[in-house]
Amino acid sequence: MTSDEFSKLSVFVHDARKPLNRISMQAELVKMALNGDVPPEKAVAALDKIISSAKDCSHTLTEMTSELGDNIAD
Amino acid sequence: MLTVLLVDDDAEFTEVACTIIEFLGHEVLTAGTLEEARDWLKKETFDHVLLDFMLPDGSGAHLFNELDALPKRPRVTLITGHPSVKSVIKGLCGPTVDYLVKPIQREEIEAVLSQKKKGNEPVEEKIEKHFDLLIGESPVMKDLYKLIARVSKTSANVMLLGESGVGKEVVAAAIHRASESEGPYIATNCGAFSKELIGSELFGHEKGAFTGAVGRKEGVFEQAEGGTLFLDEITEMPIDMQPNLLRVLENKVVLRVGGTKSIPVNCRVVSATNRTMEEIAQSKVLREDIYFRLAVFPITIPPLRDRKEDIPLLAKTFISEFNKDNGSSYRWEDGQLETLKAYDWPGNVRELRHFVHRAAIMSDPEKSEIELPKTIESPFAQKQSTTPALQAGRTIEDVEKELIYATLEKVNGNKTTAAEMLGISTKTLYNRLHAYGDLSKDE
Repeated sequence: MTSDEFSKLSVFVHDARKPLNRISMQAELVKMALNGDVPPEKAVAALDKIISSAKDCSHTLTEMTSELGDNIAD
Repeated sequence: MLTVLLVDDDAEFTEVACTIIEFLGHEVLTAGTLEEARDWLKKETFDHVLLDFMLPDGSGAHLFNELDALPKRPRVTLITGHPSVKSVIKGLCGPTVDYLVKPIQREEIEAVLSQKKKGNEPVEEKIEKHFDLLIGESPVMKDLYKLIARVSKTSANVMLLGESGVGKEVVAAAIHRASESEGPYIATNCGAFSKELIGSELFGHEKGAFTGAVGRKEGVFEQAEGGTLFLDEITEMPIDMQPNLLRVLENKVVLRVGGTKSIPVNCRVVSATNRTMEEIAQSKVLREDIYFRLAVFPITIPPLRDRKEDIPLLAKTFISEFNKDNGSSYRWEDGQLETLKAYDWPGNVRELRHFVHRAAIMSDPEKSEIELPKTIESPFAQKQSTTPALQAGRTIEDVEKELIYATLEKVNGNKTTAAEMLGISTKTLYNRLHAYGDLSKDE
């Protein structure tokens, strides 16, 4: 892998980690809601956000494979 | 409760993080950019800043200078997406920074925020350094502090006596510090120079005074003008150089080697030796007239075994110095400190410090436990064994035997002298030695 490719990859990894971080934090919120620490409707909103973050992450990974895959084809 | 500033450009993350941090009982404000963060720092005081490393308008590291300039520097935890950034940050910002690696969990936030409280604990048990240098709260040390405080107010020359490693140079520096004199503190070791060079070191030389004297050099007496001159190992100074030193002490002027002009000098001389006063008197390593000039005020620094209660304080100080230098987080356990206290430390504080550093180096850097070697040994420990502390549980006979042998060793086996020292007749001594089976019948 060239350094150029590596830095490109790093950007994708950074972008993929962002939704993962959101998922992790929202999950903590759901835990708190189950404990009764925050109102239950927050849990529902959090779960929705988890799902959309999961999709975001998946999207980023798809983008990454196609981008880097293209490079290999070159 | 803490006031926390959370700086991260991911609004969704900051929102959830806020809910969690507030739930943990802290007040939290957020910023999405460096600029917003700077605004908050102007308006509010924070206990803790959670800082993303990559922000739209630059790296979180840019905020460090501003944080340093604040009257109360908040604790900083860097949020990073990449674990490998950790080592880079460590190099950049020093080891005192904490990290959160994304994805973040609630427990991790809790841990870094409560670190604040943990961090306070060692601060509370902050070990006082007397004169900014000396550690110890034992009665013998308190007496020493009193002496230092008294003598520093005068201009008297001080002679420090004490075993190797007790910290004579540190005490000399403490005297200088306490004296609040305007001149510098200059230290030199009289044992480190050859006979030919010591004159030049102490008094300086003129250009061309001897082969190799290519320029003029100020001696330490001149350098210490208005301050303190520390002469270590004064008893190692060649005896035929001592009259020169005496002249300087008497007349308060130096003559550079090869020079013709007397230069007035004005400094306090603190000298040190690891010999006892009796040894100095007996062994003729120091001329009597010099001794009285230097030891206007003699101070004996106690060996570490006479102030064992200070060992934990010293050990804690040494380990926190080590932690600071190496970014480690070693801590003593009470049992370990007791082990250190039980040993006699013939090499005194120096030996203790080396021992602590060595133990820290040998320990697992990822943990906070210090691994002590199974035994504490020193090649110099033998000296110690000849004067063991008297302990209950030994018989008089046993102690008597030891005293007789120790005395004989001291007088090189001369039984008449030994008997005299022991306060018994020579015959009694012979009888004892026969009883120990140490003498053949015909002796």
